[in-house]
This record gives sequence, structure tokens and C-alpha cells, in this order.
Amino acid sequence: MQKIEKIILGLIVLLSVSCSDILDKDPQSSFSAQGFYKTTSDAQAGVYGIYESLQSNYRINFAYWGEGRADAIETNHSGDPLTLRQNTLNKTMNSAQWSSLYETISRANYAIKYVPEVSVDEFGLQLVGQARALRALSYFYAVRVWGDVPLILEPYESVDQELFVPKTDKELVLDQIVEDLQYAAENCRDSYGGERDRVLITQGGANALLTQVYMWRKDYQNANATADLVLNNSLYSLVSMADWSKIFTTGFSNESIFEVGYNEVQTNALRVLYALGSDSDYYPSERFKNSFEDNDLRKSKIYDTTVVTTRKIWKFFGEGFSDESADPSSNNIVLARLADIILLKAEALNKLGQTDEALELLNRIRTRAGLENLDQASAIANYGDVDSAIFHERSIELSFEGHRWFDLVRTNRAIEIMQPINGLSDPANLVWPIHEDAINRNPNLEQNSFYR
Amino acid sequence: MNKKNTKPQIKLRGQLFLFKSVLVGLLFLISSISYTQGIAISGTVTNVTTGEPLVGVNVILKDSSRGVTTDLDGNYSIDQVTPGTVLSFSFLGFERKEITVSSETTLNVVLSPIANELDELVIVGYGTKKKRNLTGSIASVGSEEIEQTNQQDAVSVLQGRAAGVQVTSNSGAPGGAMTIRVRGNSSLNSGNDPLYVVDGVPIESNSLSSLNGSENFGLNPLADINPGDIESIEVLKDAASTAIYGSRAANGVVLITTKRGKEGKAQINLNVFTGVSEISRKLSVLNASQYREVILDSYRNMANPVEPIFSVLDSLSPINNGDVDWQDELLRIAPQYKIDLSVRGGSENVKYSWSSSFLDQDGVIINNNYKRVTSRLNVDFNATDKLKFGQSISYTNAINNRINAGGSGNLSLVRELLIRPPTYSMYLPDGSLNGYQFGKRNPVGLAELATHLNKSNRIIGNEYAEYQFTDYLKIRSNVNLDFVSMKEDEFIPSILDYRPGYNTGSVRSLTNLTWGNETYLTFDKQLTDHHLAALAGFSFQNWKNEQTGLDGMFFPSDNLTTLNGAGTISGQEANFITEHSMLSYFGRVSYDYKGKYLAEVNLRADGSSRFGADNRFGYFPSASVGWRFSDENFLQDNAVINDAKLRFSAGQTGNEAIGNYTSQGEFAVGVNYLDYSGAAPTVMPNAGLTWETTTQYDAGLDISLWNNRISLTADYYVKLTEDLLYNVPIPRTTGFSFITQNIGSIENKGIEFTLTTRNFIGDFKWDTNFNISSNSNKVTDLPDELLINGYIQNGQYHILKEGLPIGTFYGYKFNGVYSRDEDNVNAVTNGAQGAVFQGGDPIWEDVNGDNIIDVNDRQIIGDATPDFFGGITNNFSYKNISLSIFFQFSYGNDIYSEINHQRNSVVRYNNLSTDALDRWREQGDVTDFPRPLRDDPLESDSRIQSRWVEDGSYIKLKNINLNYSFPEALVGRLGLSKLDAYITGSNLITWTKYTGFDPDVNSYSGLRAGVDEGSYPQSRTVILGLNFGF
Repeated sequence: MQKIEKIILGLIVLLSVSCSDILDKDPQSSFSAQGFYKTTSDAQAGVYGIYESLQSNYRINFAYWGEGRADAIETNHSGDPLTLRQNTLNKTMNSAQWSSLYETISRANYAIKYVPEVSVDEFGLQLVGQARALRALSYFYAVRVWGDVPLILEPYESVDQELFVPKTDKELVLDQIVEDLQYAAENCRDSYGGERDRVLITQGGANALLTQVYMWRKDYQNANATADLVLNNSLYSLVSMADWSKIFTTGFSNESIFEVGYNEVQTNALRVLYALGSDSDYYPSERFKNSFEDNDLRKSKIYDTTVVTTRKIWKFFGEGFSDESADPSSNNIVLARLADIILLKAEALNKLGQTDEALELLNRIRTRAGLENLDQASAIANYGDVDSAIFHERSIELSFEGHRWFDLVRTNRAIEIMQPINGLSDPANLVWPIHEDAINRNPNLEQNSFYR
Repeated sequence: MNKKNTKPQIKLRGQLFLFKSVLVGLLFLISSISYTQGIAISGTVTNVTTGEPLVGVNVILKDSSRGVTTDLDGNYSIDQVTPGTVLSFSFLGFERKEITVSSETTLNVVLSPIANELDELVIVGYGTKKKRNLTGSIASVGSEEIEQTNQQDAVSVLQGRAAGVQVTSNSGAPGGAMTIRVRGNSSLNSGNDPLYVVDGVPIESNSLSSLNGSENFGLNPLADINPGDIESIEVLKDAASTAIYGSRAANGVVLITTKRGKEGKAQINLNVFTGVSEISRKLSVLNASQYREVILDSYRNMANPVEPIFSVLDSLSPINNGDVDWQDELLRIAPQYKIDLSVRGGSENVKYSWSSSFLDQDGVIINNNYKRVTSRLNVDFNATDKLKFGQSISYTNAINNRINAGGSGNLSLVRELLIRPPTYSMYLPDGSLNGYQFGKRNPVGLAELATHLNKSNRIIGNEYAEYQFTDYLKIRSNVNLDFVSMKEDEFIPSILDYRPGYNTGSVRSLTNLTWGNETYLTFDKQLTDHHLAALAGFSFQNWKNEQTGLDGMFFPSDNLTTLNGAGTISGQEANFITEHSMLSYFGRVSYDYKGKYLAEVNLRADGSSRFGADNRFGYFPSASVGWRFSDENFLQDNAVINDAKLRFSAGQTGNEAIGNYTSQGEFAVGVNYLDYSGAAPTVMPNAGLTWETTTQYDAGLDISLWNNRISLTADYYVKLTEDLLYNVPIPRTTGFSFITQNIGSIENKGIEFTLTTRNFIGDFKWDTNFNISSNSNKVTDLPDELLINGYIQNGQYHILKEGLPIGTFYGYKFNGVYSRDEDNVNAVTNGAQGAVFQGGDPIWEDVNGDNIIDVNDRQIIGDATPDFFGGITNNFSYKNISLSIFFQFSYGNDIYSEINHQRNSVVRYNNLSTDALDRWREQGDVTDFPRPLRDDPLESDSRIQSRWVEDGSYIKLKNINLNYSFPEALVGRLGLSKLDAYITGSNLITWTKYTGFDPDVNSYSGLRAGVDEGSYPQSRTVILGLNFGF
């Protein structure tokens, strides 16, 4: 055989046997699903990734869920705003979608499973604490919006896992929420330093969320206890009335316990919701505008009092705000702040019979707003009872922050107050329908009874 | 020579006749010489290939037109011939021969048949094969047809010219994307494009453009290949032809072969043309006052009428006092020109082909322009007797100044030029452009001021070496590459936004490299009656895509658009590298006995990095047989049938068109929370993922009749695709919206006919090529757990359901409009608690008869699959003039005209078509245009409905080409070897009932066929050109 032919044959043999591992191609700009958690910085990134999903959870839904069905707002906007306001909820409305909340839960489940493989010391524990708190926060919204929901605590990594999970009783979900938050309250750091303390879950944040959960469950004893931990936390103090607007406009205030962070490029819909001027989703209802006590210093900071037909809610943008553009907003959205916890504690104490202590807490908020202190007699005179006085105070202080509807529901006032406005009458109607898409994707999911 | 005993049949010219006795004839001729003046010439005319005598050959004395014909024995005799005159021998189907008479009195002549197309070589995977010996199903388009079209991309040439190949246009923009389906859709996950191989290089054929201003904005990567360079395009259709390409072949394979040099003097060719395009039709829209009336009506019709706050109604408003037909503002007559220069030639050992072209083409929408430079060098060297090497290399530079068109977004101009309110003033009182009003940008401003620039450089190359061990065994190895470097820039200036200083810019830069090696041994040996050929080889292929990109906003000036000027970097997600590789082994054995019995088997093993480690390798076999029954004894006497062959093939191919890392799942980075770097799971893993398998059966018949005057190819095929890769929707509670799984099956069945006839031959020639195909597609199996009410919703307009084709439209049936409130006798309501339909509202078909119109009343409202499609070309030529007329057609397909929905939707303040002048206005009006109603509480507008389903059948005069070759004498005087002048018209006339711009439309390139979202319309083009040969 000629030399050249030998060379050719040699090359062929070489080429055809030398390439067996060339078919192993791992991602270079991302990671395979199970190949991500390798180092402590991966663990940290995985947890920040959970927070990232909060931005889409709450960018508009904090208001649709927390205000849209309540009495403080009015709307001209078709779609979710009108549907919610008129109590004609349907299976295709946007706010009936839970996919974004479960995305948070999935990311948290990945972190809860894999972070301990990377770090089992304090660093890992506090990350798991945050992940569990964020999972709890998501489930807390889910049970408040839909009632019973599927409870999923493991990440999905294979088609062999059960994909079609039915609903779990909401009390069991709430038990899990409490367990997660208790874990977070123990394992999160008490402080991460600087602005992070407001936009990440601290121990104080976990306790504040626990307080909200206990109040939802009417567990006043525990609510009082966790609220105490928050009130005694040196991270938190009430800001002065002069700085009150800044809680929302600039964020990161000392009063803030947990807020979802946004910026120029990670934006939300606050402006579309409240202050587009001519055409925002919501403007304050007459009922709300008429519910202020005289000389309430907050009034002109909350909405445009300069005109009769108000179309602007100023609370989140500052008094006198007149930019009418639909620019996405970069304000943080505050989900828990000290005033909220103070009022919840007041409410709990009053329920527990400690009325004086309750009034003291209530008056801290009233004083800041330039209002006279209430005693038991004046509370009864003005609002019927102390509980109602606290309830009213929440409606002003926390207005448009996404608390009102949940306050109506947990205090059993929703039907009483909303029936004259939109005919709400059936307790089964207090939850949202499960979105058609979710039902379609999961044959084991039963539609909430009112919407069948 | 097979046909020895043919009986004479006088009626048919050109039939073969037994040569009885040459001697007798010769004696006769010799004896007659002495009686004539001058000399008498005689002889016999025979067929060079068979040696048989030819009967009826015209033998003419050229200067006197005097002539005779040959007798039954092929003999002729002609007297009084002066030596020095020219005798011409001509016979149908044979080359004419002219001989100058000397003193010889016996002139025996052999005539050569005009090259039979059956002896043409057809390109197949890793080789060539005589068309005669094919056992698979292949459609070919040659350079002549390609040149006649004067299309500027290789794909559109196939439209209507290759049976079984359906081509639809996604965008009529220069360089815009096309959809090609070979024998139907065989996949659910949009991996339905064929594999393209250019001179042995498997090229990237997916749009690489990543700056999608709106969806459906793809580019056509095949536009990088200059059609002038193409020698032939072969479409491999059945498994016998495609299985050699294994896991990429389920959707067919398109082999593009470019022109190579031939031995001989250099052929220098210069081809220049210039032309103009315009939109083939304009659509009617309302003027400003008609529009205002409709908007007012829509408010008046509200249950609780409110005062319109929309200043569009204020004809005095400086921003809304216009009266514009946006089509007039945005459409234009667009020029184009092209220069092609080529030099081809070679010596015995070096053959070369060099070509270069420049194209400058304006789009019919203002400010849209496409410039392309291509250059190609194909060289083949014989280094020694045994060693040969060479290359094919091409370079393309394209600059596409694009117009955002085609999608549903706010930025899509084609939609906007129909639906933008006519009242919108073009300019503000201060003379500046009225850039933005009421959530809408000024479309003229968008076209002129927004930047959407795509610049690409591409090299496609193949270097090979071939070593001939013996005359029957050789080895060939090649290294191939396809390298694309692309940069895209986008900028939207602040004048087009309502927010002062709010401008946005993006930049994307990518390189896409596909490279590989193929090495294979070829064996080919003829042993008297037995012919054996074999192929064995392996290949490696790697694909790598690297991309960088940034989005920014708040540039200090609209004149500074590079990203360094951005006040804020708003996105950097477009930075990534992805890679994929494949290792394959393949082989083929083919055998034939006397060319009569043919058989072939193929096998390919493909390993892909895309699949889980357990599923890496797939095996794709095929087998085919052919029977040339025209060579059997019982047909040897048949004078009608020249050639006839039956073919059968069966085999399996695959489809691996999924994400590079889908099986592994994905954890994405850059999922940042504020400034904190985050990561999150985005794709759920599925380690068991594997390729789709298509099993195809094909039965074919090739037959040529009457001396090849008529040839017909017919194929029937059945294609069953299983283990479909599908993004199966899963409960969102998993944290994911879908998971890619192998599910279900699809069947395609069809027939294809290609008929070529030579109607006239001689000086006046008329050929006809006709092809027609019918493909019926149906989903045969879907997993039950995916079905909701028995089907899967496939995008907005379509469903997937067992037994139905993939392009099935599903929605509400529109049965007209209630004339009066009381016409709604059953008090049908919109949903269980909704309002009662009243006069002016649509009558929806209440499928279940419950007097409630809800999702349960949806039904099948159309099907995007044509019943049949094809084309017919007639080529005429007389002396120096040739004319080609090409019609293309599609019948029985429906179009969901989303653009007609948009332009009859009052809900969005869109402008409306003039159909709205017939709208319902008051009780008793009989019309099928419902009352306009603000906020759409009855969902008249938002439903997917039969009102927008139209018959998309059409016949199109796709192409006319008239060519005149100047006489040689004149050309010679100019120092040229050739000069042709031609005129070509494209898309000249379309006969259709479709009311949109053009029925050849397909906004979504994937599964969601037949939707017109407002694609860039096809244009009517006329081109004038000159072709010089030096």
C-alpha cells in the first residue's frame, strides 16, 4: 500500500474513535437545573433569585388583591379594576392567576433543598430562613386570595414527581406558613446592614409577617407576642409626620419592616394604579374621603384635596404630584411597616381585654397624624367601640397599601360594608376564583365553590 | 441496446425500426449514382447510442431547401448535389448535424440524442446519482428556472415549482422570512423546517435576528445565498433520500449546489438589472369624519352612555385634526437594482468559478432598504491522477435597514398603516412631528426616525480532498463551516415617546459558528450486469452561538445612539453562549441489475448533545427498491413508453430541534433583585428527552412517454411522526409553565404529481411544467392528560385535536347580526349572568342550545391547510425570444385574518375598513356589520370568531420572464459572445377572495399556520435587465 494511503487510513481510524466525549455539552451561560448550587455565593444568588420574583408578584396585584374589592377605591377602568369593584369576579381575570406566587414558591423550594448541601452553618441557615419566609409570604397571599390551595414544599426536578397536586385545606397551609415564619424568625439575621434590612427578610420581618398571619387566624395571644418583638426591635421606629410620605416615595425608612425593592429597570405599576391623573386605575371613593376626621395631617398627603373630583392618589408619590405619564414606577412597595404592626397589636390587646394598652398604641398613630388622643369613651362616642376605632385608624393610616380588603375579611366586616356598595353577600364569594388556566392545567383542581 | 424487434409504426415519428439490410440499400444507392448530374449522395442515418437506423430524418440541402427523408431502413438518397454545399440532418429529439459535401458519395451519419434528462445527475446526500436510477423521491429546480424568477433568495424560488414543497411568505420585506414545509408539518414544537445543505455544508437556517421589536420579525438566512450562483436545488422528500441525514431529516432536506467551473475558455458574464416594486393592492379605510362618526356611535351604543373624553373626536384639536390615509404616507414605489459578475472556466487540472454580486433593494414601506454583496469562489484542482482537492467558499455582507413590521405590537408598521386613526395630525402647530398620541407612536415617525439596522457578514465554506484509490474506490474528507457575524442596532428617539427625554436603544452582536468534518469512502463498480455502489463515513458537527447585547435608555440626545450614551442600562440579559454538537456514522449500499432492478439501503447513527446521556444515539435506517418495468420484455415493443419505473421506499428519520440544554433543565443567572445578583430555575429538567421519529413510506412512479414528450412523476406517501417534542403545559404550581416531553403522534399523507410536456419542438418551442400536491395532515395521538375538553389550545387561534389537522381554527361561529332586539327570541345571553344580545349585536351560533354563549359554544371554524397547491410554468421560445409564464396556486386553505379583526375593531380606537359604513345603526337595519360598542361588554370584538376566517385560495401570476437574445452577428460586432435583454414581472396578478393585502401570508412561522397578523405585504415587481457574455 502506498504511503499516502496508509496515512489516510490512519487518520480515519484516529478521527472516528477520538471523539466520544464531545457530546457532553453543559450550559455555559446558565446552569443545568440540578447543577447550580455549588458554592456559598450560588446559595446567596439562589435566594436573591427568590426575591426577584416578588417584584412581579406584587407590582400590581398588591393593590388588586388588597384594595380592589374594598371600599376605599373607585374606578373607571374595565378589566380587573372594574370586575373587582363590581364584585363580578371571573375565571379569566388577571388577578386570579397564581402562577407568579408559585414561581416564588418553586424558587424557594429549590433553595430550601439545595442551600443546606452547600452550607450548613449560620450562613446557610439564614438563607434557608429567608427562603422559608418568602415561601410563607407567598402562601399567605394565596390562602387569603383563594382559600384552599395546593401545598407544594419540594422543588420539581423530574416528570416522575406528582404534577397534579390538589388543594390543601387552608388551615394546614397556614400551619405551614407559621412553621416557616417561626423558622425564619429564629434563623434569619436580625440585620444585614443598611438598606438591606428593609428589602430583605430580617428576624423582625419574619415576626411582622407572623403577626399578620396570627391576626388573620385570630390568634391574638401569639400576635401580641410577635408584635412585641417587632416593637422592641431597634431597627424600627415611627417616622415624623414630615417624613411620612417618604416611607413610600423614597423607601428604606426606619418605619419600614419589609418592602419589595424596585428601581429604574425593575419597575412596578404604582403610577398606573394610583396617579396617572386623567386615567389611573383607582381614585379615592367618596366614602373614603368622607371618613377622615377633621385636621388629619395625612389627608392632603394621601390624595389630591385641591379639586372636588379627585383623580389622584398622592400617597406614594408625594403631595402635589402632577406627572401624568404612565411611566413605570420605581418606588418600593411596602408590605409591612411599624404602624401596621402597632395597630395590629392594639387590635389584639383590645381583643384580649387590655383596652388601655390598646388605646395607648392607637394614640401613637393618632398623635403623629395630628389627631387628639382617644380614650375609651371618645372611641365609643366616635366609632361605636375601640375595635372600630382601631379599624378606622388602619383604614386611614394604611390606606391603599393593600391591607383594606384583608382587614375587612379577617374582621368579618366585608359583607356588611361591601353589600351596599356592590352586593357582596355570600361568604363563599370572599375568595377569588381559581383561574381557568390553572384548572385547565390540573384536572385534580376543584374550582372554588362560589365560582363553579 | 434492448429493443430489437420493434415493428414499424408509420404513424409515430421517431419510433425505432429494425435495420434490415444495410447492404441492400448500399447496392441500390451505388447503382443510382451514374444517372445524376452533380453527384448523388446516399447513406444511412443511425442513432449513435443504439446503432439503430433512424426513420424520417430530414435531409436538406441547406442552400436550396431541397430535401428528402430517410426510409424505413434509415436510408436516404439525394441527387444533384454540388460538392461544397451543406447537408443538414435533423430529427426530433436529436442534435442537428450539418456536413459539407466533398466528393464522397456515401455519407453515413450518426445522430446523437439530445441529452436525456433521465441521464442527468441528481445531487443526493453525499454523492450524485443518475435520475434514471433514483429510488427515492427528489424534486429538483435548475439554474434556468432560478434565473427566470429573478427572486433574490433561494427559498422563494421553490414556491410552486417543487411538488410536495409548500412555501409561504412570513414577510414580504427584502430579506424577510419564509416558511417551507416539505410534505406537511411533522412536529408540534415548531421544528418543522427542512435541513439546508449548501455544497455539503449544513447551514444555519433559523433567523438569527434577536432584536425582535415585535414577534414574527425573523430574517431569512437563505437570503445570504445569491440565487445567481445556484446550479440546482434538490429537495429530498422521502425517507430513502433523507435518512442519510438522520436526526435532522424528518422535515426533508434541501440541497443547494452552486455553479462550478468547467474545462474550457473563461466564460465572463455580466448581468445587470433594475426594477421597481409596489404594493399589489391597497385596502380601503375610513376618512376622518367617517371615523369620528363610528367612535361616537360606539359611545352612544353603551348601556349607560358616557361622554367621550377622547380628543380624537375634536376636529379642531391640533393633535387630532388630520385626515390621513396612512397607506399613502408609508407606502411607495420602491426601486431596486442588481449587478452580477461571474468568470468560470478551467483547464484539465484546475477549474474555477468566481462570482460577485451587488443588490440594492428598497422595500415598499418608506425607509426600508436592503443591500447585499456576495462573492463566491469555487475551485477544483487535480493535484495528481489520484488526488483532487478544492473548495467552495462564499462571503456575504448584508445591511438591512429594517422596518418593524409583521407583529401585533404597538411598533408594527403594517398593522399601524391600516388601523391608525386618520384624525391623527402628522405635525403639531409648531411644525414638529406629532410623535406620540394616546399610547400610539406616529408610524411615519417610526419608519423615518426609529433605527432598526441589521448588519451581517457570513462565510460559508467547504474545503475538500478526495483520493482515488482505484477507479471504483475513493475517499473524500471535507471541513465545512458556516460563520455568521451579525450586529443589530435599535433606537427609538424621544420624539416618539410622551415622556421627555425617554428614548431607548439596544444593541446585539452575535457570532454563530457551525463547523464540521465529514469523511467518507465511496465504492462504485459496474460488473457487466451488476452495479454495486456503497458509501461509509462519519461526521462531526458543532454549533456555537455567542451573543452580547445591552439595552439602554435616557440617552442625553437622540443623535447619540451608541450605548455608552445611555443614562441607564436597562437590560443585559442578551449575553450568552450556547453550544450543541453531533457525532454521526452513516452508510449506504445500492445495487442494480441492468438498471432494471434497483435497491438501496441507508443507515445513519446520530448522537446529539441535546439529549439525555441515556438517549444519546439514534439509528435511522431506510430501504428502497425500484423496478424499471419499461425494460421488461412485455414493454419492449411498446412505442409509447420510453421509460417507466416504480419505486418504493420506507425508512425512519428524526428531529432533534429542541433547546440545546432543555433535557438538563436550566438555572438562569441575571435574575437580579435590585443590585443583588440572583439566579433562578427557569426550565424544568427532563432527562428522558429524545428525538422525534418519523417513519415514512413512499410509492412512486416515473414515466416518460412518446419520446420523452411527456414525463410524469407521481408519488404517494405516508409519514407518521411519533414521540413528538412538545412543550407540555403543566400546572403552574410547579413553578414552571411547561415541560418538554415526547408525546403523541402526527400523520401526513399525500400525493404529488409533476408533469412535464414538450408541446412544441423545433423552432417554436413550448414546454409546460405542472406540479400539484395534496397533503393531508392530522394529529393521530395526544396524551389524554393534556386534553382539555378533548383538545389542546394551540396559541390564540388554533387547537390541536386527534383526527384534525394542525392548522385548525377554533372559535365562535358568527351568524350575522340581530336586526332588532326582538330578533333574539330566546333571549340568548353572553355568559350565564351576562347581558342579553340585542339589535346590532352578533348572532353567535349556540352550539349546545342552552341560550348562553360561552366557551362551550366554540367550534371548528376553519383550517389553514390547503387541499392542494402547486404551480404551472409555460416556457415558449422562438428563435431569439423566450417567454416563461409561471402561475402558482393554493386551494382550500383558510386564513384567520387578525389584521381584518384589528381594522374592524372599535374597542381600541382603531381606524376601520369601509365595511364599517354598513354598520348596524338602528333597529331594523339588516347588515352583517355589528354595532360599534365601547368597552366590548358583549365580547363581540374579543372573541376568536368565524367572521375573520376567510378563504385563502388563490392563483397568482407569480412570474413572467421575457428574454431576447441579440443575434450573434450583432453581438459579435460589439465584441461580446452573448447579449440578452429581459423583462421580468413578479406577483403581477392574484386572483383570490381574500380581502387582506395578499393571501400568501403566514405571520407565524411555527405551528400556528394561516394567520395574517398584518405581515409586510408582498410586492408587485417589474425588472428590466441585460445579460452580457464576454
